[in-house]
Amino acid sequence: MQSEIELYRPQDLAEALTLLNQLGLDGKLLGGGTNIVSELRDGHHTGKSLIDLSRVKELRGINLQDGYIVIGGGTTITDLIDHPLICTHAGILLESARLFANPLVRNRATVAGNLTDASPAADTAPPLLALNAEVQLMSQSETRWLKLEDFITGVRKTLLQPGELMSAIRWPVPSDRSAGAYTKVGLRKADAISVLSVAVLLEIDATGMCKQAGIALGAVAPLPFRVHVAETLLIGKELKPELIAEASHLAAEACRPIDDIRGTAAYRKRITAVIVRRLLTKILEALK
Amino acid sequence: MKYQVKPLPPVDLPVLRTVGKPLRKVDAMGKAVGATVYAGDFSMPQMLLGKVFRSKHSSAHITRLDVSKARALTGVACVITGFDVPNARLVSDMPGQTGQKQRTGSDVPVLASQQVRFYGEPIALVAAETQEILDKALSLIEIDYEPLPGVYDPQEAIKPGAPVVTPPDNIVARWKIRKGNLESGFEQADLIVENTFRLPYQEHAYLEPEAGVAWMDERNVITIRVSTQVIEHFRTIARAVGVPQNKIHIQGTMVGGGFGGKEDITLEIYLALLAKHTGRPVRMVYTREESFLAHSKRHPYVIKHRTGVKKNGLITASKVEMISDSGAYPYLSPYVLLYTTVMAPGPYRIDNVHVDALSVATNNPFTSAFRGFGGPQACFAYEQQMDDIARQLHLDPLEVRKVNYLRTGDCTATGQGIESAAWLEETATRAMAALGEQRPDHGPVKIGQGFSSYFQSYGRITWLHDTSQSWVGLELDSTVTVRAGVPDLGAGQANSLCQIAAEALGVPLERVTIYSTDSALTPLSGTSTATRQLYMSGNATLMAANTVRKVLLSRASKYFEEEIEALDIADGKAFIKNDPSQTLDLVDLAKMCASEGIHLSNLALFKAPFTDPINPETGQGQVWPDFTFGSFAVEVAVDTETGEVTILKAAACHDIGRAINWASAEGQIIGGGMQGLGYSLMENMVVKEGVIQTPSLSEYLIPTSMDYPDIQAIILESGTGVGPYGAKGIGEPSLTPAAPAVASAIANAIGVSIHEIPITPEKVLAALDQSNKL
Amino acid sequence: MKPQVITLHINGRTHNIALSPNLTLLTVLRDLGYTDVKCGCEKGDCGACAILLNGVAVNSCLVLAWQADEGEIITAAGLGTIENPHPLQTAFSDAGAIQCGYCTPGMIISAKSLLDQKPHPTEAEIRDAISGNLCRCTGYAQIVQAIQSAAEKMADGGEG
Repeated sequence: MQSEIELYRPQDLAEALTLLNQLGLDGKLLGGGTNIVSELRDGHHTGKSLIDLSRVKELRGINLQDGYIVIGGGTTITDLIDHPLICTHAGILLESARLFANPLVRNRATVAGNLTDASPAADTAPPLLALNAEVQLMSQSETRWLKLEDFITGVRKTLLQPGELMSAIRWPVPSDRSAGAYTKVGLRKADAISVLSVAVLLEIDATGMCKQAGIALGAVAPLPFRVHVAETLLIGKELKPELIAEASHLAAEACRPIDDIRGTAAYRKRITAVIVRRLLTKILEALK
Repeated sequence: MKYQVKPLPPVDLPVLRTVGKPLRKVDAMGKAVGATVYAGDFSMPQMLLGKVFRSKHSSAHITRLDVSKARALTGVACVITGFDVPNARLVSDMPGQTGQKQRTGSDVPVLASQQVRFYGEPIALVAAETQEILDKALSLIEIDYEPLPGVYDPQEAIKPGAPVVTPPDNIVARWKIRKGNLESGFEQADLIVENTFRLPYQEHAYLEPEAGVAWMDERNVITIRVSTQVIEHFRTIARAVGVPQNKIHIQGTMVGGGFGGKEDITLEIYLALLAKHTGRPVRMVYTREESFLAHSKRHPYVIKHRTGVKKNGLITASKVEMISDSGAYPYLSPYVLLYTTVMAPGPYRIDNVHVDALSVATNNPFTSAFRGFGGPQACFAYEQQMDDIARQLHLDPLEVRKVNYLRTGDCTATGQGIESAAWLEETATRAMAALGEQRPDHGPVKIGQGFSSYFQSYGRITWLHDTSQSWVGLELDSTVTVRAGVPDLGAGQANSLCQIAAEALGVPLERVTIYSTDSALTPLSGTSTATRQLYMSGNATLMAANTVRKVLLSRASKYFEEEIEALDIADGKAFIKNDPSQTLDLVDLAKMCASEGIHLSNLALFKAPFTDPINPETGQGQVWPDFTFGSFAVEVAVDTETGEVTILKAAACHDIGRAINWASAEGQIIGGGMQGLGYSLMENMVVKEGVIQTPSLSEYLIPTSMDYPDIQAIILESGTGVGPYGAKGIGEPSLTPAAPAVASAIANAIGVSIHEIPITPEKVLAALDQSNKL
Repeated sequence: MKPQVITLHINGRTHNIALSPNLTLLTVLRDLGYTDVKCGCEKGDCGACAILLNGVAVNSCLVLAWQADEGEIITAAGLGTIENPHPLQTAFSDAGAIQCGYCTPGMIISAKSLLDQKPHPTEAEIRDAISGNLCRCTGYAQIVQAIQSAAEKMADGGEG
């Protein structure tokens, strides 16, 4: 049954934060609406007050600031695809954006919406995790930055507090000696929910040693996550097939997947090893 | 190139002016600019909205049903339960069905009142002023269930002691074929090959969910404007509603996709009941989720083949056993089973054949018509069996087929002679040639090519004594009107009739207007099912148009003082063939006829061959008017580490007899082929204890524009079909051969065959693991 | 919440209507008679309800009508008429790109949005642009051809 809701349409960020503060626990943010609006039909948000952020221009934009790429929370997935800063400095995010749902949805869906929804299969999470992204949470009284890794805590669970919205996401501009790779495994070549997604970002120093590593997995655990054991293994070493094989194995071991209509846990685990190996190998070849 | 392309025999096709051309279809522009009105787009003054209350159990007694609170809600116009309409049952005849034991029809209660047999079974109908009130009313319906043991596997359902879904037992249909001497056939064999094949559900997933509007007028006529493949259901609806047949009037609309899913009655019966009980117009539109619950699916099958072959591949004996899941009610399962039974041995000449087929009731979603109607399941099994025979004999797949391919003059397993062209090797070699050279393997990604051949009927079962009517008239301004009760599903059903009338009467296509799909106002043309409209209504239209043409030429012959044979009509003018400068405008000719009282219209009735039912013990006899033959070829890349299959190339070659509209024929071949590719790899309906786990288009996936390459459509025209101008049917045949071709290509790539679709990545990996163990 | 009057500019017409906040733009458009906007899933899975909202192609089932207040909306019917069709509508009609036609209005909106941004799209760009518009009839080949052919015609000086 269609939900009964209150809908507020703030014109700017200050108004949005005031509303959010006033509404407290009943306040629910409406970003691109690509999840929430269809859920209204089934009565999921009855009694809630939705705050529509689509008019809040301050939340949209992609900039380079103090060595960080900073994007507004209301930035759409299409905005990412079209932006030169993303193309230049966040290839893995660009790739995930291109494979995000479909163009009609990408035109509405926002990065903050995708992250705060906190689906295990959230498409932008693995690349942003691998990029060491932080998220900015803003309330009327406070603004704080959290590591994205800490922000998502479980299936559809985050550290977003009542009265807060995700105003921005940022990550340090990767060094010139870094390279990334991304793969999404779905049951269809477009508009598919991930069976697995993997984003890898490595920085190699002048001696050929791995200086920094980000390996993030989606859809194989209750939340998208970084595989630190595999990253630690790589750091300070030269990327070689045996090392890559071991890191891939560790990544697969770190998965806690479930069986669902898209695939079994065993399958997800198995292909995690394959995809992580392939991505690391691809990076190794790209850096040669 | 892998195979030498087999040359075609000489064909002498008459030169035509309109037929065959890829002309813009008469319905295209209306759809392009959004002007076409579909069933759910229609509104009436004072209109109510209707909705169905459905079962939340797959098998249960209804111990209490209380709709009083819903009825009392302000704004609710009516609530109907099975207790209000105890005689409302949907019964349809099934002549010739061998299912003995009094199970003569698809007897379905419109509303369940005592027992529910599948998840989503309708229990009550509500009509209300607004969507809000309607939703509220449904939530106020109180119901208690006492769960009953259910049965969800056909193999279990036929065991003694299994829960009985509908009395007297779970076997809703049984067919058999006995031809030749099976034992001696197996004795002659050098090798016996046995395999079991498993086929899944498939969901139609038409873009337009079921919709309609109904109202009762001052004559007590209930008019139902609905998206349907079958306007003739007005008779069944009249019986269920309890009114005379001439008081139910179906106005079909443009159908937003059917594929067999709008062949059975959908919501028109509910609309009729609600309109009758409220006396007001009622609109009902299903949500996507309700559409998944409410209409049929393609039948899951288990098919076992045991085939005896000589060393050269010649088949000496074929034994096929199959079981299909009919779900809770039979619907068209007995017919679908007959199709699979008769097509089971494939397009091969086999002297000794036994087929034993069962369709079995379960508490699963019900199954019925879906493009191909049992043919695709049969084809997957017989073509994979042929591939396995080739593998075991170390022969090429085409060589094995060539030895056995049916030819014109041969008989099917039921003893029906093939009278039209049977271009199997011709189509197989062309489809494979279209793939070109196979790409090389790339690391763990293995490349393979494969093909399949098929035969598939067009036109209904001949003992159903099918007929179609069409009316063609020339107006005084020389425009042409066609009136035919043809539901247009988008495949160009109506347009083809226009193109045929334009050809026969020598007017441009845009001068022809068709009035179609109205059970009261257009002559009944039969169902848009069974790939029958071009064949049946095309012939009826051609007959009617030719009768009018003869009248015109006969009057023109007086005018020109020439024999009729010396005259022709084109571009809106009659003329003398040897002296085309001598013309008579059709407007003038029409005026002459009108002033002399010469009839310028004709209503024609086309009859398919009428036969007796096949012998129930041997299955011998004619089953269909004719067959379409063709082949499908695919090149795939298989990632042996992730199990993912990518289709690199696909080509389909069919002999369609004669194309009436070239672009439409290509559209059928490509579109049907795409549904077949989805069926083979992607479309995965998960059902647990009768409950669909994938009731949306984000869970039940169908192909997007990104998934598969364009299917190359190769159209051959033998001119030997029984349709107008020698046309055969292509609507359903287009889908049939796709899945086995994909399976063949995968087997060719990885060296292991997979006998169950959809071939998901996990099945590929499981098959590879299995073969690595061996 | 009480209905509020919002303003929608649709295909050149202006509507001031009082609406509850929980209604989707799809529902409102269809209730206003813009039935060329089709309902296929109400979840953003099929694209049949695609429209241009302030020049951006969106699923109208995923937008609340209030969110579109003061917005410019163009539906497929707003692009052309039978007498004066948009080049895309002509190309779809002539290429055999239309079978049942239910996906067509949404498909044409996605194509229009693509050509607005990329007048000379590659086949891959066309396929990506319509990847949120499911078609169950055609197998997409003739739709892709139609968009290519419309792009060529529009580049040759036809109207856009």
